[in-house]
Amino acid sequence: MNVKSKSGESILAAGIDVGSSAVKFALANVAEDGSATVLALHNERIRRRDLRKVIREGYDVSLQAAGVRQSEVAYIASTGEGELVDFRRGHFYGMTTHARGAVFLLPGTAAVIDIGALHARAMRVDERSRVMAYRMTSQCASGSGQFLENVARYLGIMLEDVGPLSCEAKTPEAVSSICAVLAETDVINMVSRGISRSDILKGIHLSMAGRYTKLLRSIGASGDVAITGGLAADIGLCRALEEKIDEEKIAMRVRTHPDSIYAGAIGAALWGAYRHRVLARRTEVVA
Amino acid sequence: MSVVEVLLGIDLGSTTTKAVALDRTGRVIGRGITNTRSNYEVASQIVREEALVQSRFELVRHAMEADPELSGIENKFIGSLVRNFRQRQHLEQLESLESALHHGADAPRYAAQYDSIQDALNNICQVMRLRVPGHFSELAVRKSDFFRDLAAADYMQAAEQFSNPKHARFDVLCGLFDAAILVVENAAGDRAFERHAAPALDQTLAVAPADIRGREAKLRAAVESVRSLELRVLGMVGTGYGRQRLPFPKEQIRSEILCHGLGAHTMFAGTRTVLDIGGQDTKAIQVDGNGIVTSFQMNDRCAAGCGRYLGYIADEMNLGLHELGNLALESTCSVKINSTCTVFAGAELRDRLSLGQKVPDILAGLHRAIMLRAMSLLARSGGISDEFTFTGGVARNPAAVSALQGLVQQNYGVRKLNISPESIYTGALGAALFAQRAAEAGNAP
Repeated sequence: MNVKSKSGESILAAGIDVGSSAVKFALANVAEDGSATVLALHNERIRRRDLRKVIREGYDVSLQAAGVRQSEVAYIASTGEGELVDFRRGHFYGMTTHARGAVFLLPGTAAVIDIGALHARAMRVDERSRVMAYRMTSQCASGSGQFLENVARYLGIMLEDVGPLSCEAKTPEAVSSICAVLAETDVINMVSRGISRSDILKGIHLSMAGRYTKLLRSIGASGDVAITGGLAADIGLCRALEEKIDEEKIAMRVRTHPDSIYAGAIGAALWGAYRHRVLARRTEVVA
Repeated sequence: MSVVEVLLGIDLGSTTTKAVALDRTGRVIGRGITNTRSNYEVASQIVREEALVQSRFELVRHAMEADPELSGIENKFIGSLVRNFRQRQHLEQLESLESALHHGADAPRYAAQYDSIQDALNNICQVMRLRVPGHFSELAVRKSDFFRDLAAADYMQAAEQFSNPKHARFDVLCGLFDAAILVVENAAGDRAFERHAAPALDQTLAVAPADIRGREAKLRAAVESVRSLELRVLGMVGTGYGRQRLPFPKEQIRSEILCHGLGAHTMFAGTRTVLDIGGQDTKAIQVDGNGIVTSFQMNDRCAAGCGRYLGYIADEMNLGLHELGNLALESTCSVKINSTCTVFAGAELRDRLSLGQKVPDILAGLHRAIMLRAMSLLARSGGISDEFTFTGGVARNPAAVSALQGLVQQNYGVRKLNISPESIYTGALGAALFAQRAAEAGNAP
C-alpha cells in the first residue's frame, strides 16, 4: 500500500475491465475533489490466450505507457469478470463502473448502453452516475458483440473494418435476429446471393440497434445516451443506433467518446481512488 | 481409354459437404468430405473431386486384389500411398496459404510494420512446413482431416511465438490468417490424382519395405492404369442444407430427410427411428420397413443441440473435433452446464476452466447437454423404436454416443443402437442411391 498518499494529494489508480473477449486497462491520476486525468489506456484482445497472462502483461504495458512504477499505484480495481486479476485490491460491479466512466467521459449522460461481447446492458443514470434503472439482454448471444465478431471472421475482415464498411452500405440487407453461431451460414448464403459485405454488416447493425432501442425504451431512457463497451468503437453500429432512434422518434441523442470502450476500466479506476480515500480517512481517524 | 461409370450423391451440409460415389452395381467406391463453407459451388466441386480421387484409390485396391501377385499387400501399400498423396496436397495448400498471407500483409495499413510482419510470417510458415511430415507419418494421430484445422493450430502456436506487441501483433497475425485461409479454401484443387499420384507413388516406393519394392513394376502399372482411367459421372443428386444453392437443376435435388431415411435404411435395414445430428440441423426421423419417412421433427434455428455446438466448443479450446469426444470420455464427474446458448456455453467453459475445473468433466457436461436436446426432439417425433440408427457427423463422437446410450436406456429401455463409422455420409449415400435409381430407370439425372 502506498503510505504517502494522504488525503489532499492526488493519487494514482488503475482500473482493469475483464471482458469475455478483451481486457481493458486504465491508469488515472485522481485529485482530492474527484477530478481526474487519464494517464494511459490499453486494450488487449484475449483471442483464446491464457487470461491471467494477458491481464498481467497488459497491465505492465499500461504502466509503461504511463511511465509509472507499480508501487506508485495506490489502488488497483477490477471490474467485469475480474476474479482473475489476482493483484487487485477491490472489485466493482460492471454496471457501476460503466456508469461512472460514461459520465466522466461524457458529462450530461442520462443513460448508458454498454455493448459487450456477450451482453448488452441499458442503464439510466443520474448526474452522480448512480444507476437508477437497468435492463440486460437475455441468455442468447444473438446480436451480441461476439456475434458481430463471428460474422466479421466469416467474412474474412478485420474487426476494425466492420464499422467503416457498414457506413458505406447502400441497401442494407434486412436480417432478423439469428443465432450467433448459425449466422455463419446465413452470412455465407447472403454472400453467395451476391449481397455486398457492406450491406450485410449494415443489416446486422440495424437489427442489433433495434434490440438496443428496445432495451433503452424499457427503462424509460431519454436525453443523452452514451455507448460504452467494446462495440462503442464500431462506428457502423453507432450510426445504425442513431438511425433507429431517429426512425422510432425517441427523445434520445447517441453520444460516443474516442475512449468509450474504456469506460468500464476508467470507472473502476475512479471508484477505486474514491474507495482508497474513504479507507485512508478511516485509518487516519482510527490512528 | 477405359471408362468407369459412377453415380454421385452430394450432401451440402452447413459444416461439411460430403459426397459418395457408387459404381453401377450400387457399391460405394469413394467418399469425399470438405469443410469449405463459404461457397457451395466450390464445396460441391471439391467433394466431387475428393470422392473421385478416393474412387481411384479404391480402383487401385480392386486391381491389386484381382492380381494374385499383389493381393495381400494392398492395405499397406495404399495406406502409404494415400498418406504421401495427402501430404503433397497439404504442402500445396500451405504454399497458397503463404502467398495469401503475404498478399494480405501488403495492405497499406501495415506499411509501417511491413518488414516485421513479413518476417514473422516467414518464420511462422517455416515452422508450419517443418511440422507437415509429422502430421502425415504412419502413426500420426491427426486432430482433424481438414487443412483449415491443422493449419490453424500450427499457425496460432507459431504466431504466439513470433508475434511481438509492437511490430507484429498477435491480433494482426490472427486477422491475416482468417482472411488468407478463405482464399485457400475457395480454391478447388483440380485433377489432384493426375497431378499428385505419380510423385506420391515415387515417395512411397522410395521408402517401402522389400515386399512392396519387389513388385514395383506391377504396382506402377496398376496405379498408372487407374490414373489414365476416365471416371464418367452418369448422374448426380444433391441434398442437404445448401441444396437450393447447388449448381444443378431441380430434378437432381432431394430433401435431406428423404436421403437420411433411405441412407440409414440401406446401411441398417431394421432401422425404424433415425437421429441425425449434423452441423446445424438435428433431425428425428421415423421410417417404415422400406426406408420411407413417416414422421420427422427438426430443431429451431439455434446452434444449441446441433453439431456446431460441439464445433464451436472445439474451436474455443483449440481442439480438433476428433479429440473432443475422447477427452470427454476421460471424465469422472460430469459437470452440469447452465447455459443453453452456444456462445454462452463457450464463455461458461472458459469461466469453469479458469476456476480450475477439469476439461474432461466440462466436456462431458457439454455432450450431455446436446443429447438432452436431441432426446426432446425424438420424443416429439414419436419416440424411439427398435432399431435406432444414429447418423450425422456427431455420431462419430464417442462421448456423444455414450451420453445418448445412457439417456435412451433411461427413457426407453433396451434399444438396438446402430452406428456406422461412415455415418456422416448417410445423407450423401441416400442421394447417390436416388441417382442410381434414376439411372436404372433410364433417365439419368
